Amino acid sequence: MNTTSGARLDRATSAALVAAVLMPVALGLIFFYVPNDVDQGFSQRIFYFHVPIAMTTYALFAWGALNAARYLWTGDMGLDLRSYVPMHLGVIFGTLTLVTGSIWAKVSWGTWWYWGSTELNTFLIIFLFYCAYFMLRFSVEPGERRARYSAVYALLGVGLIPISVLAVHLGQDVIHPVTFTDRGANMDGTMLFTFLMALAAMLSLAVAMYLVELRGKRLDEQVTRLRRLAEGTR
Amino acid sequence: MSRRALVALVRKDLVLELRGSEVVLAMVAFVVASFVLFRFGLGGGRPAGGTRAATGMLWVAIVFTAMLALTRSFAREREHGIWDGLLAAPIDRALLWLARACSTCIFLVAVQVVALPAFWLFFLQDGPAPDYGVLVAAVLLADVGIAALGSLVAGLASAGRAREVLLPVLFLPFAIPLVLGAVSATTGTISPQTSGLHTLERLGYLGLYDTVFVLFGWGLFEFVVED
Repeated sequence: MNTTSGARLDRATSAALVAAVLMPVALGLIFFYVPNDVDQGFSQRIFYFHVPIAMTTYALFAWGALNAARYLWTGDMGLDLRSYVPMHLGVIFGTLTLVTGSIWAKVSWGTWWYWGSTELNTFLIIFLFYCAYFMLRFSVEPGERRARYSAVYALLGVGLIPISVLAVHLGQDVIHPVTFTDRGANMDGTMLFTFLMALAAMLSLAVAMYLVELRGKRLDEQVTRLRRLAEGTR
Repeated sequence: MSRRALVALVRKDLVLELRGSEVVLAMVAFVVASFVLFRFGLGGGRPAGGTRAATGMLWVAIVFTAMLALTRSFAREREHGIWDGLLAAPIDRALLWLARACSTCIFLVAVQVVALPAFWLFFLQDGPAPDYGVLVAAVLLADVGIAALGSLVAGLASAGRAREVLLPVLFLPFAIPLVLGAVSATTGTISPQTSGLHTLERLGYLGLYDTVFVLFGWGLFEFVVED
């Protein structure tokens, strides 16, 4: 057990170290290296926070849904935690996406929220769905049933995402800037490099947080199990 | 065997409803009261936003009314211990979901037989109205989606604490794209410039929504009733 815990700690620590190096580098690039955008000026720099955070959120939700499917397939309780933790982090990163998106909307369009934006509205629906996931999880007693119900609901999100994208497109009113098109990224090399560094920093931060939280939750489960055993022997 | 079991399960739900009148009457009263509330909420004599706002309100009322049926879904089985008997029966678990989805859909249609004329009376009789054929088609397609997804989500909510509160929280994020598609289909027909293709595309979207969540319900319900 000690070896496994040690290995986990090492992975978490190394992920945190990578994040600790990449984050200041990305911040330096965003504020001192990349040039101002021609149309939006200095305020466009929030793009380097907003888009990587949103992409990290989607990655976390995808990882959570994948582990939910694996849990239903195998019944391995360890996968339940590996599904729950990215969902939890996804909601935190999702909140940051909504906040940074709102700030950008206010600066660019003069409004905190624009209901005609496909991306904003799709993200809002998905965010509400993942908030509901927590309501379900915390209202069922811990155990195998909770793991199963959480996994089923998490998988429903896989159906909800394309359905929501389509629904929002039906009432589309394009205003949201489209940076990534079929023909590649719509930005110059400097901007692309800064964006990729910011994305790498955000992803490494998410991985570090994931590993640390996973380790904490596992320890919590072990303590609960030992406490139950101790109460049983009294 | 499967078909007989399905018919027997749906018949059970309908007979229980006919004897007890627990759900449908409450839904009718709720939806009509909602229309009155919306009418006054939109300004009484001359509704603000006109037919477009009213049609949007119709979809909100339909979703909230469906909540009543879904809240009672599985509650009776859990309260009276019927669930154990159903699980012991030698039938596919997915059939339990399908039967519940079918009976919920029948309840919704029964309510809308009263609700849609009431909606016409309160909102549409004066001024421009959506295409009634499209409205009815959209309502029926939406009913299938609500019943299919709602029966699965109601199964999840039924095991939680405070399930009456939990169900709307779990269901409403899924209702948003449904309402978006349905509003787009029906309000689009108010404008005379809307093409038939536009309407067909919107109705097709509702059909896709139904297909996706029927597949999810069929595939995932066995994990909801494993114990």
